This record gives sequence, C-alpha cells and structure tokens, in this order.
Amino acid sequence: MTKVGRRITDYWDEEHMKRNYEEINSRIKKGDAVVLTAEEIIDVVQSQGVKKAAKEVDVVTTGTFGAMCSSGAFLNFGHAEPPIKMQRVWLNDVPAYAGLAAVDAYIGATEVRENGEINYGGGQVIEELIAGRPVKLRATAYGTDCYPRKGIESYVSLKTINQAYLFNPRNIYQNYAVATNSSDRTLFTYMGKLLPNYGNATFSSAGQLSPLLNDPTLRTIGIGTRIFLGGAQGYVAWEGTQYRTDVPVENGVPTGACRALAVIGDMKKMSADYVRGLYFHKYGTSLGVGIGVPIPILDDELMRSVSISDDKILAPLFDYSVESRARKPLTKITYAQLRSGSIKLHGKCVKTSSLSSYRKAKDIAEKLKRWIEEGEFLLTQPVATFTESQTFKPLDLRSQEEV
Amino acid sequence: MLQRKYLLTFTSDIVNEPITYKIVKSFDLLVNILRADVGDRGGRLLISVEGSGQQIEKAVQYLVNAKVQVKELNEYVNKSDERCTDCGMCLSICPVDAFEIDRISWKISFNAEKCIACGMCVDACPPQAIKISDL
Repeated sequence: MTKVGRRITDYWDEEHMKRNYEEINSRIKKGDAVVLTAEEIIDVVQSQGVKKAAKEVDVVTTGTFGAMCSSGAFLNFGHAEPPIKMQRVWLNDVPAYAGLAAVDAYIGATEVRENGEINYGGGQVIEELIAGRPVKLRATAYGTDCYPRKGIESYVSLKTINQAYLFNPRNIYQNYAVATNSSDRTLFTYMGKLLPNYGNATFSSAGQLSPLLNDPTLRTIGIGTRIFLGGAQGYVAWEGTQYRTDVPVENGVPTGACRALAVIGDMKKMSADYVRGLYFHKYGTSLGVGIGVPIPILDDELMRSVSISDDKILAPLFDYSVESRARKPLTKITYAQLRSGSIKLHGKCVKTSSLSSYRKAKDIAEKLKRWIEEGEFLLTQPVATFTESQTFKPLDLRSQEEV
Repeated sequence: MLQRKYLLTFTSDIVNEPITYKIVKSFDLLVNILRADVGDRGGRLLISVEGSGQQIEKAVQYLVNAKVQVKELNEYVNKSDERCTDCGMCLSICPVDAFEIDRISWKISFNAEKCIACGMCVDACPPQAIKISDL
C-alpha cells in the first residue's frame, strides 16, 4: 500500500528538517514521490512518529464530497443569428443570471424553477451539463440596434457552448455544525430531515480527510493552489465568502465553521460522479461537489497537522428549532462519535447521519494520490496566502447614518 | 418459516370483515400491521406475515375469495445505486435500520426484508436516489 519504510528520502534537508515545492515536484515528475492519503497517514504517524513520517512522505492527499450551496457555473453560449443580448435566461426552466455581456450567464446551484418545482434547480442543471446531457436554453431581451433579437429557444450542451466553468464562491468549509431538533415537529433544513424530539443529528464534514482540517492555518493553500475539483484539476481562486479565523481551536483545529475557499475549474473536464445535483426537501436545491487538496509535507509541523484523526476534531451541536443566528451550541462532539452512528444526548441515544459522503471523500483522496504518483498532477506554491485574522460580520438593520 | 409483505386493498362493503383476525386464527400466521388506512371508498392494509409457505398461500387464497385485492410487495422502496452518493442521510431516518453502512467501503446498502414501507426515507435523500413503488 505504501512506500513508507522502504526508502529514505535523499533530499530532505536534515539540518533544517525541510523540503520545498520544487523538490517535491521534481520527485513527482520522476515518479518517486511518496504520497499517502490523510486517512493512511494517521497510522503511519502513530507507529513511526511525526519526524520519521515527515522525512519519508512528500505529499498527503485529502478529499471531501458534500452539499456546497455557494456554487455555480459561468457559461458562454456563443452568438445567435441575428444576435441577442440576453436579458433573462433560463436553463431547463431554471433562471440564470444574465446581467453580464450579451451571451454570458451564471447559474447558481440553489436557483429553482419559478413554477414551484423547488426540487429541480441550478444544481441539477449543472449535473446534467457535466453528464453531457442536452439542456433547454430560453432567453428574452429588449432588443438593441446591435443586438436586435428579442427571444430565443434552443438546446445546448457542453459540446455546443464555449466556456463552461464552475466558480464556487464558498466551498469546503473548514469544519461545520451538527444539527438536531428539540421541537415536536419534523424540520426540513439544509442539514437534512431533522426528526422531532432530538430524533436524529446530522453532520457534514469528511473530518480527518477534510482538506482544510489537515492544514488548519492554510500554510500551503492559497490563491492559485491546484486542486481536485469535480473529477478534474481546478484551482483555488480566492478566500471563500464568510472566511473567518476567529473560531475556538482544540487539538490544533477550529471547532466550528471557519475558513473556506472559492474555487474554479473547467466543467468540460469534470465528471458527474463528483458533481451532483442535490435536493433538500422543502428547502431547495444544492450542489454536491467533490474536492481534494494535496498537502505538501514541507516540515514536521505539516506532518503533525495532517495526522489529525476524527477523535480529535470537534464540531458544535446546534438545535435547529431555535430560529436565531445567535443560537448557542448544546455541546461539542467528535467526528469519531458522529461517524459511529449514534451520540448520547441528555442520556438518550440519538442516531446520526452524515450529509457528506465519506466513501466519495476517500475515493477523491485516493484518486488525487494516484494522479500525483503517476506524475499527472504537480503541486503549486500559492501565489498569495489568505489573511491571518478575520471575523465574520452579521447583517443588522441600520439607517444610512449608522452604516 | 417465511416472511412476506402484502398490500391488501378492500372496498367499503368488506371493511367490516375481520380479515386480520381470520388470517391469524385460521392460518396460524404471525401478522404485523405496518400501515392501515380506511376511507370512504374502502381501505388499505399493509401487513408483514410470517409462517409456513403453505399457510401463507392458503391465507392469500382466503383473502382473494373474500374479495380483497392482494399484492405482494417485494420492493416497496427502491434505492438507485447510481444516484446514491453514500452520504448516509437515510441511516438516522429509517426507524428499523433497513439502511446499513459498511465501515470499510463506507457504502450504503438497503435491506428490503427489514423495510416496513413507512416511506420516511424518500424525502430525506438529497440526491433523490430513493423511490417508492406505487401502491
């Protein structure tokens, strides 16, 4: 399974206990890089220690697959004859934003049909496109001298259109909440179906495999970092919206929703296995996105951080029947407990459900590992890293003078 | 011993017939009522029966003779493995643990024998992988 123990790295700077991106990439090109997943590395560090593991392993791969509402796609349809400056656009009857140049549009994952069918939306359209299926395009316009046409109906697919890229403003949240429901009715939320009287609890993180929990201060992840996105190679574009750093840390990792990434990648190279339209009953649609990030082992400290295991990562449990942004966590729970299938709450056994797929998270980390081992994926040093200290501001009602 | 699930549909004129009692008493079957509803046009009864194959067959014959429409339910709930992402949302929803997760492959499987056809899982599944057979 692993090359660890068979060979001592020859380029590890013994004196300073370091290696750099160039050295790692030259080993990847030669097919010599030692790559393990964030799950495999746990046992290696436990049995051999951080120092020895850091010396022998070049890269650790991570993965996650979950509902990421803040996702969407930029599309360019090409010009019609006669041309149209699309003012309003629908794809399979789901509205897309067209307030851009003539034939550019952005379709967001949570946009739903206007006829009340909230189980079909942007997430489903994006999946259909990536799966190679035809999608009905409808557009209207007011008509101009240069764009006389006032309407169009046609079918498009990824083969017929020009650019098609996912540009997701907030993906792979570093940790997240656990949801439960103390009320006497079933709640339908973006955290899934929550049964009454603490009937269940749902969570959404790959825990020990999750990208941003393995490099918790994002030392190696920043603008330009090449990643696995939806089955293809994509990039980190920016800090994720709602990026924050002020969440309490335990065992080196934040204990709640904290940092996040904006990511970008070519839909034409993606696979519907890793990009899936989701529907949360009575809530609406979302997009299941698969993302993997490689962590270069530059020093001991990074090896220590990638060896984090589910029993050391805590998530806050919230009662989603409390309709306030200020709700307080009932308790904190480890992912080891959550993944066991049930947790103890007020002396009662409460069944748990994951909303993100650990099976796919593992699959992504393993696929990324193979890409690197086979020399198909090189690591990138960030062009810029993100701010070290940032809070997350609420929206309050203010007058013009109070702003 | 066999276990089978049946959907019994009956018109309003036989609603008063004590069919559950009859199939327990006359055919020595273990009957578990999973769902029952009676309306102005008759009723529907979803039952799980346990007993010898011969006795179950006789009970079905009795029901047919009593003008009850009998439909065996093998797969009331159907999970599409192609759509399923193996997230596990269904695991905490199902009251009888008909969904199971393998803790090595982390794949979810559905055990139709355990299913009591409550339908709770259908609207809980984010990739819409679970469908319910028409009753």
